[in-house]
Amino acid sequence: MPYYGSEETVKELKRALSNPHVQADRLRYRNYITKVIRYMTQGLDVSSLFMDMVKASATVDIVQKKLVYLYMCTYASENPELVLLAINTLRKDCADPNPMVRGLALKNMCNFRMPGMIEYIEQPIVAGLRDKASYVRRVAVLGCAKLHNLQPYTEIDGSIVNELYALLRDQDPVVVVNCLRALEEILKDEGGVVINKPIAHHLLNRLKDLDSWAQSEVLTFLLRYRPRSDDELFDILSLLDTFLQSSHAHVAVSTLRLFLNLASAHPAVQADALLRTSAPLLATCSAASRELRFAGLCHVQQVMRSQPGLFATHYKRFFCEYSEPSYIKFRKMEILEELVNDENVSLVLEELRSYCTDVSPELAQAAIAAIGRIARTYSEKCLDILTGLLALKQDHITSAVIQTFRDLVWFCPQSTAAVCQTVEAGVDGLQDSEGKQALLWLLGEHGDQMGSAPYVMEGYIDGLKTELSSTVKMELLTAAVKMFLCRPAETQDMLGRLLHYCIEEESDVCVRDRALLYYRLLQRGVEETRKVVNGPKSDPSMSVLTGRQGEPISEWASTFNTLGPLAGRDSCPQTDLISAADQPSNSAEEELLPGSEDVTLSSPDDTEEEISLSLGAPLSHESFEKMWLDLEILHRQALGVSRPRTAPDTLQASLQLVKIQTLAFTPGDTVPWKAYIYTRSSGTLILAELLQGDPQAPGTDESLVLSVKQQPVNQHAIRRFVSVLKSVLQTLDVDTS
Amino acid sequence: MIGGLFIYNHKGEVLISRVYRDDIGRNAVDAFRVNVIHARQQVRSPVTNIARTSFFHVKRSNIWLAAVTKQNVNAAMVFEFLYKMCDVMAAYFGKISEENIKNNFVLIYELLDEILDFGYPQNSETGALKTFITQQGIKSQHHTKEEQSQITSQVTGQIGWRREGIKYRRNELFLDVLESVNLLMSPQGQVLSAHVSGRVVMKSYLSGMPECKFGMNDKIVIDKQGKGGTTDDSGKSGKQSIAIDDCTFHQCVRLSKFDSERSISFIPPDGEYELMRYRTTKDIILPFRVIPLVREVGRTKLEVKVVIKSNFKPSLLAQKIEVRIPTPLNTSGVQVICMKGKAKYKASENAIVWKIKRMAGMKESQISAEIELLPTNDKKKWARPPISMNFEVPFAPSGLKVRYLKVFEPKLNYSDHDVIKWVRYIGRSGIYETRC
Repeated sequence: MPYYGSEETVKELKRALSNPHVQADRLRYRNYITKVIRYMTQGLDVSSLFMDMVKASATVDIVQKKLVYLYMCTYASENPELVLLAINTLRKDCADPNPMVRGLALKNMCNFRMPGMIEYIEQPIVAGLRDKASYVRRVAVLGCAKLHNLQPYTEIDGSIVNELYALLRDQDPVVVVNCLRALEEILKDEGGVVINKPIAHHLLNRLKDLDSWAQSEVLTFLLRYRPRSDDELFDILSLLDTFLQSSHAHVAVSTLRLFLNLASAHPAVQADALLRTSAPLLATCSAASRELRFAGLCHVQQVMRSQPGLFATHYKRFFCEYSEPSYIKFRKMEILEELVNDENVSLVLEELRSYCTDVSPELAQAAIAAIGRIARTYSEKCLDILTGLLALKQDHITSAVIQTFRDLVWFCPQSTAAVCQTVEAGVDGLQDSEGKQALLWLLGEHGDQMGSAPYVMEGYIDGLKTELSSTVKMELLTAAVKMFLCRPAETQDMLGRLLHYCIEEESDVCVRDRALLYYRLLQRGVEETRKVVNGPKSDPSMSVLTGRQGEPISEWASTFNTLGPLAGRDSCPQTDLISAADQPSNSAEEELLPGSEDVTLSSPDDTEEEISLSLGAPLSHESFEKMWLDLEILHRQALGVSRPRTAPDTLQASLQLVKIQTLAFTPGDTVPWKAYIYTRSSGTLILAELLQGDPQAPGTDESLVLSVKQQPVNQHAIRRFVSVLKSVLQTLDVDTS
Repeated sequence: MIGGLFIYNHKGEVLISRVYRDDIGRNAVDAFRVNVIHARQQVRSPVTNIARTSFFHVKRSNIWLAAVTKQNVNAAMVFEFLYKMCDVMAAYFGKISEENIKNNFVLIYELLDEILDFGYPQNSETGALKTFITQQGIKSQHHTKEEQSQITSQVTGQIGWRREGIKYRRNELFLDVLESVNLLMSPQGQVLSAHVSGRVVMKSYLSGMPECKFGMNDKIVIDKQGKGGTTDDSGKSGKQSIAIDDCTFHQCVRLSKFDSERSISFIPPDGEYELMRYRTTKDIILPFRVIPLVREVGRTKLEVKVVIKSNFKPSLLAQKIEVRIPTPLNTSGVQVICMKGKAKYKASENAIVWKIKRMAGMKESQISAEIELLPTNDKKKWARPPISMNFEVPFAPSGLKVRYLKVFEPKLNYSDHDVIKWVRYIGRSGIYETRC
């Protein structure tokens, strides 16, 4: 900010402040002091007025005193000698009959932040700790912390610490909390203030007298306390109970955090606490102020990591309002996407579709990506919506839809046919490189299912000279090679042109090297190339898993109610569209490595010799359900093993190792526990259900019950299937126990 | 713990800066300006992290308030603190605007000094603060001897919100139930979300230290009483009671009593204050229903028809009704016909604004408009912002009713009957939107 004639201004102020006539008129005097502070706020250097200001501090006018103290605190470090002049006035004020004056003087003396002051401050602070006015005691207690801050490496004064611990029993609630804060700072190196049993109980009993800020802080301090016995624990929990429903969101959330930490050994209590806090959390999500709403949403997301279903009935609360800022809308969409279930899916999708045409392209793209993720479970409805969006012919929407298609095909291969049909029906006008890459990947990977694919690709090859993005060129190379492998006749000519251009004329080294790589690879023969280039077309290990897993609460309880949840995922929505880890590989280097699938295929698997289970094409949820309902149970037996206690991913991976595909299973420790699996064997399809703890069939609490359905019937295959499954589950059982 | 508090105007000039902790350097002020206020794009998050320092920011009209900290703090608390800060400032000098902040900056420094010490919240109750900071807005005041002694008693006393020895000739009580009703409705008339946030504001002019008891048709209380009474009675009152989702009270209300018996008893502050805030989401009486009909006739014309229906007792009158119908950006001309009130196309706001002064309950009114569009080659579809509405009705949309307000003052000789009590209900629209 420009300041004209700043020197002049300061001089003028100096003249005015030292003018005896001004000093005599209290209002005029104060006005000039106000002016000084104003200039100070604007960044003007008024430190040369220090002398005059110190003189002005000797007054009975409290407001003027405050102003002068504010000034002195700002410039004290630059004029250490001059501050000493003010000390006398300050010390005299510390003995004033008016508690406000005493408190004010003490507070500002501590605020000077000058190590040289310590010897003058110590005595007034100690006196302040015993003052009869609570206002002064509050100031004095924090003064101890400030004092320690001034000389952090000196020995801690034991007597002051003891005095502070004693003041925890003060009758003024703010003094109590200030004591905690001060002790925490003073004893930082020793691990902070010690919360033992008497202190913890005392604080818990005083909790209701404190104001909301103090409650929040005390609850955080109490995290350190571990109750000795279960009885004590439940006493504490019942004391805290009322605060779970506190009207202040931050208190409710702090209480919840304490609850979760204290009850870490009692999952049922934790779940109950979560259930009861859901109301205040939801209220925060629709609070009048946006920022609070945002904080509420972030915490809802955390809770949902363990209890995905907790907010399912309230999904309408997460619909976006038109005027909300985008950071809230992004969070709400993330939550909506998690809350989708059979009942609300059509309403949620309807809602998300209306966001796809939002004015903000970022928001629209995020909405499209959200629909894409829902499509992994509810493919048909979502594909309809996404196809409808293409008809709008808007660049950013089309691009986002194509990217979503790519991800969808990767995770959910059964939708490939529908996607290919849509893409073939007409996608044009892609402008951004992200969208082009996605389209090229689709063309390369699934070109065999799209009649016009080579011609679309030819268009890109012809336009290569004007293409600026090198990543698009690399994707084009990969796609063209893949296309050549499945439709050589139509592609050979253009692949030749493409390779020629990229090797001879391209200036980007990466693109040229990639082209050379493919060229040499092709020289080794088509079969060799096919082996290297054609990886898996989808990621079946991820595709069929729908039973969303509740993470254990301890995963996030430690960061709950801190800044952590607010930072959350990368706040930039565009990177959210495709998370790097899940991305289909589009670099040749990666493809040169045989896919993990191939490793398991070729690994010597002892079960493979005698029985021949195979994975085959993945089944969709709908078709599995249909078949399951149509068929009769052919075989039912108790397996004699309990359900594997491993993580769901491990279970799924180990079943896949023996060619059994997992469709879905119930998360975590829910009872009854169910899993649906299927496999193929010499022309038959075997469907099976694993069940433990069925309420209708007593005696199944301990062991898994297997029910098998098959089409067409082949008893031999079932016997093999059962024995393989049993051996896997036994192995897992041994591993975990 | 808060390391510092900054207030900026919309240009990013610092109006107030107060640093409480040494770990917040002077450059923090500039870092926020450069990274958030001057950043071209939209605000990505209300918490911005710059060089390991977190900035919690809130915008009120043109003013940015930022709390700065280096610690991993409780975000909800910091935000609530900032709001409290705004409330306190508003209580002292009204609207938070650049003008007001500049005129009252001395007062603000005083406030900041009292509210926070070393970055820890100390005292944020406006009533109690008024005894420490005696400046009345811009006007400066001298302390009288009497006031000085009052401060002393306040500083040490137990009840922070009321002083001893208040006397009035006429004991009066004014009670306002102010509600704002929020609605989001789909074009098909389905309620997507609706909630009422209400406040009970009181103005009390009572002598002595009176004890008050406030009762309303809270479902939990009514149900409890209904159990004891006759079945007929409980059935009747059960219908009229409301379920309150959450409520907060002025610090004078005894929370322990509310928790145990759900009765609201308190010693009121003198003058105007907010007794409670609450929120309801169930059984809301939506005072108006908006039925939109938008038809695109070719590429250059839109036909809009909007019907509003009032849905309350015919004897009541709604006031200040305003319906705002958004129009596309490429609108060239609008013709409006409305049966009631006045409607105007405001090009600068891209909306048709339809105003009706008064409307009785169970009535219906209609507006139809023809919107001419300029042909554009912009392929972007019009996003169709929702139709919003403003109004004021003389009842509480949540259904809240005041059942009683009793005053007891055992020391002075006036009883509950001598107090003159006034109750008023006002329901206003909050965000009241219907998608079209």
